[in-house]
Amino acid sequence: MATLRSLPRGIVSPWSCVPLFAVVALLPPDIAAQAPEPIVVTSPVLRTGELIPRDHSPDGRNLSPPIAWSNLPSGTRQLAVICQDHGAGNPPPWVHWIIYNIPATAAGLPEGVPFDPLDPMPAEIAGAVQGNNSWGLPMYRGPAPPAESLHHYHFAVYALGTELDLPPGLERDEFLAAIEGHVIGEGALVPVYERIPMPDPWEREGGDLPGGRASADDGPR
Amino acid sequence: MAEGGARRPKKWSRRDLLRGAGLAGAAAMLPATPLAGVAEGEGEVLPPETPLPPAPDPAGLPAPRNLTAGEREILDAVIGRLIPSDETGPGAREAGALDYIDRELGGALANSRELYRAGLLALDRYAEYTRRAPFVELPEHEQDSVLFDLQTGGATGSGAGFLGSSAAFFNTVRAHTWQATFGDPAYGGNRDFIGWDLIGYPGPRRVVSAEEQAALEAGTLEPLRRSAYE
Repeated sequence: MATLRSLPRGIVSPWSCVPLFAVVALLPPDIAAQAPEPIVVTSPVLRTGELIPRDHSPDGRNLSPPIAWSNLPSGTRQLAVICQDHGAGNPPPWVHWIIYNIPATAAGLPEGVPFDPLDPMPAEIAGAVQGNNSWGLPMYRGPAPPAESLHHYHFAVYALGTELDLPPGLERDEFLAAIEGHVIGEGALVPVYERIPMPDPWEREGGDLPGGRASADDGPR
Repeated sequence: MAEGGARRPKKWSRRDLLRGAGLAGAAAMLPATPLAGVAEGEGEVLPPETPLPPAPDPAGLPAPRNLTAGEREILDAVIGRLIPSDETGPGAREAGALDYIDRELGGALANSRELYRAGLLALDRYAEYTRRAPFVELPEHEQDSVLFDLQTGGATGSGAGFLGSSAAFFNTVRAHTWQATFGDPAYGGNRDFIGWDLIGYPGPRRVVSAEEQAALEAGTLEPLRRSAYE
């Protein structure tokens, strides 16, 4: 059993408040090897620090964004993705999306993953299922921060060293507990979003309601 | 619902959830043992002591004239997605939910009239702003996506003009659609007992015999298909 004297000096020195990554660097090689390896996460539409396109929010079609990954650890058996806003929720974070059981053969997630659990997943991610977001819905729902506020959305990709067969509809805590100890690689994108409200006044050809043949001001039929 | 659009493959989720909830609800209304009104071991049904309230007359209900034609068209599409028809049977549209809500917005639901006026207009503006088409012209899966945006409040900050939260409007319409579909037909909805058939509700009984209870639990109880007021 390790004693205080036998631990690396950094642990017991006044430098014990250094960030975790620095501590990991001091760990013996067999322990440090268990830390997740960095994986490369990219997207044709998401970039860290840049605005998420409108079509991936409720100001547009609210499609899940396409995400790609590379440089996976050699032992990767499965992948999982979670999108969270650490600046929202009571308590934070607010979960926008959880998807897991993604096969290791997948190079990423296509745009517009089905929101109906009965619709089949695209062939390249067959077997993937979605957990519950903070609205209690097993689907992607994009960013909708309060007006005139810029929020950060943390899309984390986990490479798992175990092929888990997790049921759909897991809550965030259940999901994180299920993958704990299996994460061998990790990467993230952190784009931002601010609402794009529709113009006021809103003008549409043909009137306010379908066909332009009636409007709310026409009174009862 | 978009007219002329291809029907999507079977959707079990909502219907099955409703069916499960309905069965549980129906079972909850029936005791595990014979009702107190039935003398145990004798099978005799005692006369009910509580008189029924006055029965509403569906034929005497006023015509639904509180929504405009455009509002009715949008609401009809919404109702059609909340409880859709499929091969397991008809849904809220066929149960007459649209006429029920339209009529009651001039009666018991009058407090919601302004919420509907603003909400239906905002819903349509939101659909066109986000999906580039009026709500009724969207494919069904896009209509569902719009409704999820309402339900989650994502449409609230779009500037479409909802009164308060879009979720409040969504929850109101959903609650009224359920009232219309699963309420007693005497109030003008649940046409042809469509709602009760959908969830397997066997109909209101003031007393339940042991045989009926056993039949319910075995899934063989024939529905009464009559109003509580009959």
